[in-house]
Amino acid sequence: MSTSRNGRGQAKTPYAEILAVLVRQRGVLGSFVVSERDGIAVDSNAQIGVHAEAVAALAASLHRKARLACGAAGCGDVTFLRLDAERGGICAAGRDDLVLVTISETRANIGLLRVEMMRAAKALT
Amino acid sequence: MTGGVVRSPLRTAGETWVEEPLTRFIDDSRVRLTLLLESSGRVLAQHGFTRSIDVMSACALAAAIHASAAEIGRQLDGTPFTSLHHPGQERQIFLADLSTPRGAHILLTVFDDATSIGLVRLYFAELAARLATAAPVQSATVTAPSLTDFESDLNRNLAKLFGRI
Repeated sequence: MSTSRNGRGQAKTPYAEILAVLVRQRGVLGSFVVSERDGIAVDSNAQIGVHAEAVAALAASLHRKARLACGAAGCGDVTFLRLDAERGGICAAGRDDLVLVTISETRANIGLLRVEMMRAAKALT
Repeated sequence: MTGGVVRSPLRTAGETWVEEPLTRFIDDSRVRLTLLLESSGRVLAQHGFTRSIDVMSACALAAAIHASAAEIGRQLDGTPFTSLHHPGQERQIFLADLSTPRGAHILLTVFDDATSIGLVRLYFAELAARLATAAPVQSATVTAPSLTDFESDLNRNLAKLFGRI
């Protein structure tokens, strides 16, 4: 069971379909479009129990710091960020101020998820 | 990461129960200025301010803004607005109320691009829970300060905050 929220909890945003496609991937618990500057979820599609606001704020901060680190290291823009943990992981792909974030279990196919996220990130405006 | 800025310590006006939750909030959220006050405008703790006159002004303005926002919320929606965020070009303000067993308090915080409003709101929610747990239960005999006491309380708290007593 999942919920889709856009801050007002009503009308669909332009990102609803992108997020729905990502959540349909095996092992994906939630997907979010987050403003990197504000750390606030613009839209989210997550299972009950996922603390969307906390994940959005922390993942946006993580993406921002990764972007700054890559810039300082002369690596250019961050294209994809993957964080592995004991029971799953977080992936992020950004475009301008918007960051696409997914939370996944260990059984998720990260390669496929990466392809889908990179494709979806191109559609973020 | 402090961005090369030396972080000033938290100073309290004798209310030791606010120290640990507020220090943790400041460390986690990376905010630049923090002010905890009672809804009357009486200051309890501050971090980042260097002049007592700034604290006095900020307390008065924060209490007034909070009261105005709460009343606008009541007029529009039937319930008071409890938090306010104002983003500036370089710095942003977040002002919100907290409920503890010691009564209603207001937190005013100023931050820059070292953090974000999402993170500040996240850690503010944790701060509210920690303060509610840490607060000693209000004594039944304590009453609201009178106008004559208020100014002396304010001056005493400001003196404590800036180490003058």
